[in-house]
Amino acid sequence: MTTQRRGIHLDQSELLCKKGCGFYGNTGWQGLCSKCWREENQKEKQKQIQEDWALAERLQREEEEAYSRHQKAQTQPTITPFSKFEERKTKEKSSKVNTVTKFFTPSTKTPPKKDTPFDAHSSPSPSSSTSRHSSVGSDYATREFIDFLKPLKSGREIFKQCRAFTESMVYKRDMGADELSECVQDFYQNLSDRLHTQFKGSSDHVESVMDEVEKYMMTRLYKDVFCPETTDDERKDLAIQKRIRALHWVTIEMLCVPVDEEIAEVSDSVVKAITDVIEMDSKCVPKEKLACITRCSKHIFNAIKISKKEAASADDFLPTLIYIVLKANPPRLQSNIQYITRFSNPSRLMTGEDGYYFTNMCCAVAFIEKLDGQSLNLSSEEFDLYMSGQASPHWPQSSGASSCSPGSATLSQVHKRLDVLTGLGERQERVMEKARQLESDLIDWTDEVEQKVQSVLESIPAETQNPTATTASGTTSAASSAIDSDNVENEHLPPPLLPQVFAG
Amino acid sequence: MAAGGTGGKTYSFKVVLLGEGCVGKTSLVLRYCENKFNDKHITTLQASFLTKKLNITGKRVNLAIWDTAGQERFHALGPIYYRDSNGAVLVYDVTDEDSFQKVKNWVKELRKMLGNDICLCIVGNKIDLDKDRHVSVEEAESYAESVGAKHYHTSAKLNKGIEELFLDLCKRMMETAQAEERLKGNGASQSASSRRGVQIVDDEPQATPAGGCCSSG
Ligand SMILES: Nc1nc2c(ncn2[C@@H]2O[C@H](COP(=O)(O)OP(=O)(O)O)[C@@H](O)[C@H]2O)c(=O)[nH]1
Ligand SMILES: [Mg+2]
Ligand SMILES: [Zn+2]
Repeated sequence: MTTQRRGIHLDQSELLCKKGCGFYGNTGWQGLCSKCWREENQKEKQKQIQEDWALAERLQREEEEAYSRHQKAQTQPTITPFSKFEERKTKEKSSKVNTVTKFFTPSTKTPPKKDTPFDAHSSPSPSSSTSRHSSVGSDYATREFIDFLKPLKSGREIFKQCRAFTESMVYKRDMGADELSECVQDFYQNLSDRLHTQFKGSSDHVESVMDEVEKYMMTRLYKDVFCPETTDDERKDLAIQKRIRALHWVTIEMLCVPVDEEIAEVSDSVVKAITDVIEMDSKCVPKEKLACITRCSKHIFNAIKISKKEAASADDFLPTLIYIVLKANPPRLQSNIQYITRFSNPSRLMTGEDGYYFTNMCCAVAFIEKLDGQSLNLSSEEFDLYMSGQASPHWPQSSGASSCSPGSATLSQVHKRLDVLTGLGERQERVMEKARQLESDLIDWTDEVEQKVQSVLESIPAETQNPTATTASGTTSAASSAIDSDNVENEHLPPPLLPQVFAG
Repeated sequence: MAAGGTGGKTYSFKVVLLGEGCVGKTSLVLRYCENKFNDKHITTLQASFLTKKLNITGKRVNLAIWDTAGQERFHALGPIYYRDSNGAVLVYDVTDEDSFQKVKNWVKELRKMLGNDICLCIVGNKIDLDKDRHVSVEEAESYAESVGAKHYHTSAKLNKGIEELFLDLCKRMMETAQAEERLKGNGASQSASSRRGVQIVDDEPQATPAGGCCSSG
């Protein structure tokens, strides 16, 4: 696992689409190419949408049940989700206030029984055992959000608004990504403005509520607004992925990365940083994605601190982050950056620590996209040679790379392994050569033996050669069998073939 | 920010440090936030993002100071760093004429990209090396005035002028923010339109080769 992550090179076949269409696959798409993934995913998505609606209905139903248990006003889920959704929406108009009220009714009013709506959510009921991570996730997120808001005076109001807004987004699927972002950002802005008034300027309090709002909303909206088809995010993902692959030859020295991977703790931190940045793609909430970048950054700082014995400055950090991104080639990098930019709580991005690391990540990507020979202290000829694969800085004949930091353990390991491989290749060649030699020797030898036998048979009279032979007619056959049985001419044959050691 | 606070709002400001490598950006901010200079006992994990909480005339200010990579090859990334900044601290080394020229380039670029929304500070650092001064006080101060920036002289080594620099800057950023609030009638934070839309500008070709003097520490 570790060594696989750390390697820059990959077997070409591992990179191709699992469907065998010939295009490159992507780990983010279960090893499929974009086209195949879309096809596969279309079904998945359709299923997901239905599940979402089913879930929305279930939640609605549970609210209603809790509100009026005796009324038994249950609605059955239907097969045609869209009409159902419309129906639910109209129904919601009348019941919304009540149901939301129900969520936030102080416990004194609800029966002190265990089966409150909240408890119903705590473990996903078997009916919704869709086992889809995201729907269970959003189910869970709803419950968490409610639990968080319950103690707040305005909690009910906040939940109501967030839910209404999130549901309204379903109708905006076809909107451009920028408009979607604008909608969400305006919502965040309005809500946080009102919270500021309400909490009388307690920014930390507002921030903590806004964090939960983001978590709730984005868990539910993730599937619809991450890498939406209205954008070219996906194309950009593939472009940067290809670009990073093409830059596999870039060394730690070219980037002036101040980390010394010979030190065990440093290379350990490097591996952890790579793991964290790859993990970003698996999170749904912008804040959690940002946290991956932040964790990655902290590991980088640790690597620098141990290598340089001083606290990392931006001059150290950025090149190291670039190096980590090149090594990790994180899945759907551009989509993730775009998603965070569009849907993260803006204050976190603008002034927070997460925002700083995220900004550096954007810088790293921009640098990778634009880098040329000059940015790596190489001549443009060298750069072109490396890019085209005609030469590699790892090969001894082109050791033109400048070095401004200690060599990397991984790279020197790769060098060693390449040397070993080359050695093995040569040895195998030699073995093959000797095997061919042996084969022809054997053929020569059998020919020789045959000839000798032939000549011996011809020169020696039948009777002396085989005393047991009595008739002339039996001579030939008797003679040949005699050789096999008695080895009369043994002393004339070449010495027996002995096993030889060829590996040298 | 406990409920028992003054009730006033908290300002959050982002300040970027810009300037050539080795002029003392990192030293300035480490001195300001941690009162350290060339500290060999590293207790700080990193010196690239540091914060400071201040209380200015009863208002709380959270200051976030963003260090930037100063190497020439990263120059084009400037706009990504300084978007949404409330202030910029442009540092040069008083013993290094070239570094002052770099500051002028930054000023031009910032004004072009961000207009007057950003508070600029031009900082001549290393005044403890005054005997090797290569940038005249008059030239620097009159230049700063001509571009609507404030000029400061500092020494990270001797801890001179740094508190004043950041305190002044915070006061100016507060004024800017308050003016903006009055304009909008309500101003919890910046407008939605200023949030996005960043582009990378390719700067004029630079004659200096890549790789600074600091790369080996
Ligand atoms: N004499 C003197 N040296 C300084 C001062 N500030 C920084 N330095 C030194 O200048 C060098 C570069 O400083 P650094 O903070 O890394 O600059 P940066 O590249 O702009 O971040 C270091 O060796 C510092 O010790 C100062 O005020 N006076
Ligand atoms: Mg620095
Ligand atoms: Zn395919």
